[in-house]
Amino acid sequence: MAQMGLRIARALQPVAQPVLALAATLAVAAALLALGGHSPADAFGALVQGAFGSWNRFLSFTLVQATPLLLTGLAVAVAFRAGAWNIGAEGQLLAGALAGVALAISWPEASALVLLAATFAAAAAGGAAWALVPIAMKTRMGVGEVITTLLMNFVALFLAQFLVQGPLRESRGVFNMTDEIPAAAQLAPLFPGTRLHAGFLVGLLLAGGLWLYMSRTPGGFRVRVAGASPRAAVASGRFDPARVVRWSFLASGAIAGLAGWIQVAGVTGRMYEGLSPGWGYTAIAVALLARLHPGAIVISAVVFGALGAGGGAMQRDAGVPEAWVRGTEALLILALLAVDRGFRAASKGDS
Amino acid sequence: MNAADAHGDAPPAARLAGVTKRFGAVVALDRVCFELAPGEIHGLLGENGAGKTTLARVLAGLLSPDEGQVEIAGTSVRLRNAADARRLGVAMVHQHFSLVPRFTGFENVALFNEGAWTPRGRATPGYRAHVEARAAELGLAVDLDMRADQMSVGQRQRIEILKALMSETRVLLLDEPTAVLAPKEVERLLAVLRRVARSGTGVVLVAHKLDEVLSAAGRVTVLRRGKQVLAGPARDFSARELAVAMVGEPVGRDRFSDKISLESDGRESADVVASLTDVVAGSPEAPSLRGVTLAARRGEILGVAGVEGNGQRELAAVLAGVLQPLSGVARVPSKPGWMPLDRGEEGLVGDFPLDENVALALHDEPAFRRGPWLDWSGIKKRTKALLADADVAAPGPEAFAATLSGGNQQRLLVARELDRSKELLIAESPTRGLDVKAARAVRRRLVEFARNGEPPPAVVLISPDLDEILELADRILVLVRGRLLPVGPSDRSATAIGALMLAAGDAVGRR
Amino acid sequence: MISGSTKQWRAQRHRIACWTATAVAACGGPSADGSDNPDPAGSSPSVALLTSGPVSDAGWHAGAYEGLQRIGDSLGWRISHQQTRTPAEFDEAFISYAEAGYGLVFGHGFEYQDAAERAAAQYPDATFVVSSGSRAAANLVPLIFRLEEAAYLAGMAAGGVSRAGVVGMVGGVEIPPAKGTFLAFGAGVAAVNPEATVLETFTGSWDDVAAAKEAASAQLRRGADVLIHNVDAASFGVFQAVREAREQRGRAWAFGMNRDQNAVAPEVVVGSAVIDIPALFLQAAVAWHEGSLRGAPRAGLASGAVDFVPNPALADVVPADVEARIAQARRDIASGALEVPRIRYLEEDTLPAASPVQPPPN
Repeated sequence: MAQMGLRIARALQPVAQPVLALAATLAVAAALLALGGHSPADAFGALVQGAFGSWNRFLSFTLVQATPLLLTGLAVAVAFRAGAWNIGAEGQLLAGALAGVALAISWPEASALVLLAATFAAAAAGGAAWALVPIAMKTRMGVGEVITTLLMNFVALFLAQFLVQGPLRESRGVFNMTDEIPAAAQLAPLFPGTRLHAGFLVGLLLAGGLWLYMSRTPGGFRVRVAGASPRAAVASGRFDPARVVRWSFLASGAIAGLAGWIQVAGVTGRMYEGLSPGWGYTAIAVALLARLHPGAIVISAVVFGALGAGGGAMQRDAGVPEAWVRGTEALLILALLAVDRGFRAASKGDS
Repeated sequence: MNAADAHGDAPPAARLAGVTKRFGAVVALDRVCFELAPGEIHGLLGENGAGKTTLARVLAGLLSPDEGQVEIAGTSVRLRNAADARRLGVAMVHQHFSLVPRFTGFENVALFNEGAWTPRGRATPGYRAHVEARAAELGLAVDLDMRADQMSVGQRQRIEILKALMSETRVLLLDEPTAVLAPKEVERLLAVLRRVARSGTGVVLVAHKLDEVLSAAGRVTVLRRGKQVLAGPARDFSARELAVAMVGEPVGRDRFSDKISLESDGRESADVVASLTDVVAGSPEAPSLRGVTLAARRGEILGVAGVEGNGQRELAAVLAGVLQPLSGVARVPSKPGWMPLDRGEEGLVGDFPLDENVALALHDEPAFRRGPWLDWSGIKKRTKALLADADVAAPGPEAFAATLSGGNQQRLLVARELDRSKELLIAESPTRGLDVKAARAVRRRLVEFARNGEPPPAVVLISPDLDEILELADRILVLVRGRLLPVGPSDRSATAIGALMLAAGDAVGRR
Repeated sequence: MISGSTKQWRAQRHRIACWTATAVAACGGPSADGSDNPDPAGSSPSVALLTSGPVSDAGWHAGAYEGLQRIGDSLGWRISHQQTRTPAEFDEAFISYAEAGYGLVFGHGFEYQDAAERAAAQYPDATFVVSSGSRAAANLVPLIFRLEEAAYLAGMAAGGVSRAGVVGMVGGVEIPPAKGTFLAFGAGVAAVNPEATVLETFTGSWDDVAAAKEAASAQLRRGADVLIHNVDAASFGVFQAVREAREQRGRAWAFGMNRDQNAVAPEVVVGSAVIDIPALFLQAAVAWHEGSLRGAPRAGLASGAVDFVPNPALADVVPADVEARIAQARRDIASGALEVPRIRYLEEDTLPAASPVQPPPN
C-alpha cells in the first residue's frame, strides 16, 4: 500500500514540478494584483474572457495580435536555427513596413494583384536589406551580429521617425504618419465580420513551409547543421556553413520585413512612428519558447497574442493599470518557460 | 624501491570502500574498492566506459557516490564539491584542460589558488617567486608569461599540474594525461610525476596505454564495466595480462605481440589520388603549412607523424578540400572521407540523432533524394546498416549522437566515412581515447579498407601516436613546424622518428 | 500634437457652460435632433478613455485621465481606461468598449482617428471623441484645441515685458500645433511692439532638458530677454537658462506653456498659456449627455478651458496699459471679433464649425 503510494508519487514527480511552477507563479501574480488593490479573480477572468471570450474575439483580437508575433517569431527562428543571433527583427520589421508603404502610396493606380505582389516583395526586400549590413559586417569585419542587429534597430527607428515626419508624412502635413495606403494594397478580412486579415494565413503558410523545408529538404538540413555545429558542417566537406548562415540571415530579415508590411496592410492602413511595440524583441521569446519549431511557433505566438488581447481586457474590465498587466504577463511567460523546462527535464529523465 | 613502501605504515592517502555510482540505469561503478598509498603512482586502467574517469571524479568530489565510503588520509569524508576535495588536498588534472585561454600561465596558476590572494582580494606579494620556485622544485618546464592559448598541449598540461600542486596535495589525479603527448614529453611527464610521488603525494594515473603505466606505476588497478577486476603491484603483471583483464577476453594478435599491418609489400599502386605541391596554408602572417609536398596513392596508408600543432589540422583540411592553400597546388578528390580530430564536434553533431549524422555525409547524393525532398527512410535504412556493420552499440537511428560513448561514436564515424570515400580517406588520430579493443577494430578496418577496396583507395593517417603510425603506415612522413620530412625505411623506429619530431616540436612549443 | 497638462489642473469652471453653449449653438451635425442620444446603460452612462501612453506622464495623457476621473467623480458615471500599445489594439479597445455598452469613448490623440472612424461606422449607438481629430460624423466628434489664442495673449504680455525688443521661442518637435502656438505668440508680441524681433528654435525633442537649455541660452545670448517654450517635459531647461541669464545680465523672463507653470519657476515665469484638458473632457461628457455634442467643437478662449494665466507673484512686471490691452484682446477673441493667426493644419475648415469665423486679419 505504502509502496504503491510511493510509486504514484514518483510517477507524478515530473508533472508536479511544472504544475507547482505554474501554481506558484499564478499565486505570485495574484498576490501582486491584490497588493495593487485589484481583484485577481476579476483580472484573470478578464484576461481569459478578453482573449477567448467569443469566437469573434479570438479571431479579431487574439489572432490579430498574434500575427506580427508569428511572423517575427518565424523570422527569428530561421536565423537562430542557422546559429545567427538576429536580434534585429524589430528594425527589419520597420524597414519592411517602410518599403511597403512607400511603394503603396506612391503607386495608387496599380491593380490590386500587382500591388499586392509588389508590396510584399518590397517589404521582404526592405527587411532583407536591413539584415544585409550586419551580415556584411560579420563576414567582412568579424563584428558580432548581436550588437550590429541591435544597433540597426535604432537606425530603423530613427529612419522611420524621419520618413514619417518628413518625406512620407501625410499629404496634409500635420501628423507624424503616412497617408493611408490605397484600398487595393490592404489585406481583406479572412472571415466577414471579423478583423482577422489574410496576414495570419500568410503566417500559417510560412510556418508550414518552413517546417517542411527544415525537416525534409537538403537545404533545410544544411541550415540546421550550420546552426548546430558549424565545424561539423565544414568537416562534412559538403557545403560552406558561412554561406548557409548568410542566406538564412537574409531570409530572416525578409520575413521580419513582411511582418511589418502585413501589419500595415492588414491592420493600421498607415505607417506610424510607433508601429511596433517591440514585436521584434518579443519574437525572441516566442521563438525560444517554441524551441524554434515552426509549428510550435504558431502556438506560442497565439499564446502571446492571447496575453496581449487579454491584457487589454484586464485594463478595460478589471481596471488593472497597464504596468500591472504587463508585469503579470511577464510572470506568466516566465511560468510557461519553467513549465516547459520542467517537462523537458522530465522527458529526459524518462528516456 | 617502490616509493609506497617507504610510507608503508601511514594511512592510505585515499580509499574508496564499496563505492557504487549509478547514472540512470547504468552502473558506472559497482562496489569498487580502491586504495592509494601516500607517495605511490597508481595506474588506473580500463576500457572506455569502464569507470576510470567516474572513479577519479568521485575522489575529486565532482560526483557523490550512491553507496560506499570515501576516505581521505584515513578519515571518512563526504565531498560535496571540488572545493571540499581541494581543501582536503585532492587535486585533479582533467583530460580536457580547464585553463583560461587568454590568461598567462602565471595568471592561470594564481586564479584558483587561495595562497595567491590576500583575504582582501589583493595579489600576495612574492607569489610569483613562490610559483617559480615550486615549478623548479617539481622539474616542470613552464613559461609563466605565455598565454595559455599559445601554449602547446604539453605546456598547458604542465601548467595544470603546477596549478594543482601549488597548495599541499595528498592526492593528484590525472585523467589520460599522456593521450596527446609525444614520447619524449611522456617521459618528461612521468619524471615529474615520480618526483611528485617522492614528496609523499599519492598519484593516480588514469591511462589506456599499458606500457606507459607499467613504466611508471608502482601498483595498478583495472576496472571493467564498473567493477574492479584486478589490483596489485605492477611488476606482478605482464602487459598482456593487464590487457586481458581490461577487455575480459584473450586479445589475440594485439599490438603488444604482433602487428596487424604489413610492411610495404610492393603492392604500392602508382595512381595518385591526391597530391600537394609546395602548399602553403593557414594564416598569411604565420602559415601553418610552409611548403608541403606529398602524394597519396591508392592502396597505400600514408602515415603523417608529428606532435599536434605542427600543421596537422591544416594538412587534413587541405586534403579534405575545405581549406584553400595560400600558394602551391592541391589536387584532391572532390568529396573525400574525413575522420576529423574532434569527432564529437567535427565528425558528429551531438544534438542530432544518428540518422541525421549519417545524412551529414549523404544528404547531397542523388540516391538519397526524392525530388526536392530528402529520402529519410533511405537514410534511416543506411544508418541501420552502418550501425550493424560497424557493431555500434546504439538503440537505433533515432538515438542522439551525444549519448553514445566515444568508442561507439568513432565506430559510427569510421563506418560512415569509409562508406562515402571511394578514393581518399583522411584519418586524424582515429584511435585517440579509444580502448584497446575499439582501437584495434578501427585500425583493422582502416587496413582492410586500404587493401581491399575495388579499386583500393588511399588513406592518409595523421597521428601523434607513433606506435599507431609504425603499425599501420606503408610510408611515413613527419610533419614538423609546417614542413614534411620523409622517413626512410631504415629510420622506422619510435626512437628515430620521435627524435626527429621532438627536436623541432619543442622548438615550436617554447618559442 | 499639443502636449502638456498637469495633475494640478486649474479648473476654470466659470466658463464651462460658455463653451458648451457655443458648441451647442453652432452644432451643424448631420442629425441635429438630440433625441437619439445614446445611453445604453440606462440610468448611469459609461465613459471610456484610450491613451497611447502612460497616464503617469504628468502631461498630455495625465490630463485626459484626470478628465475621465472627474467625469466619474462629479457625474457618478462608470469609467474605464485602457493604455494601448499598438494600432491593432486601437480597434480592439473601441470595439470592446462599444460592445460592453460604453456610450462615450475618448481616443486621446490624432492616432485614434482611423480606428475611431471604423468603430463609429460599426457602432452607431456609441459616440467616439478623438482629441485633435480631423473628421466628424454623427457619432464621431473631433476635439480641437486652440492653444494659439492663449499663446497670442502671452505674446502680448511678452511684448510689453521685453525691453530689448528681442523675444525667443524654444520648441520641441517641429509639428504644426507647436508652430501654430509660436505663430500666434509672435503675432501677440508684434501687436504690442511691432519693432520686436522674434527668434524661433526647435530642439527636436519633447524631453531633452539639456538641448532645451542650450537653445534657450543661445537665444538669450543673441539678446532676447523674454522666452516662451513649447517643449513639454523639457521646459525646466528653458527656465534654468533664464535664471542663469538673469544672474549674469540682471533681466530675463519666461512664459509657461500648456499648463500653469507659474508655480514651477515663480521668480521668472510671468504667466502661462494654459489648456485645461480635464475641464474639456467634463464639458464634452455633459454635452454628450444632453445630446448636444455634435460637430467639431473648438476649445479656445471662449471655452474657458484655454487661457492665459498671469503669475500673481509677478503681477507688476507687465505694464498696466498692456494688461488692459490683453484684457480687451481676450474679450475680442472670445467674442470672435479678433481672430488669432494660426496654421490651418486640420481639416477643420471642412468640418462643421463651432465658433464664429472671421476673415483673416491680414
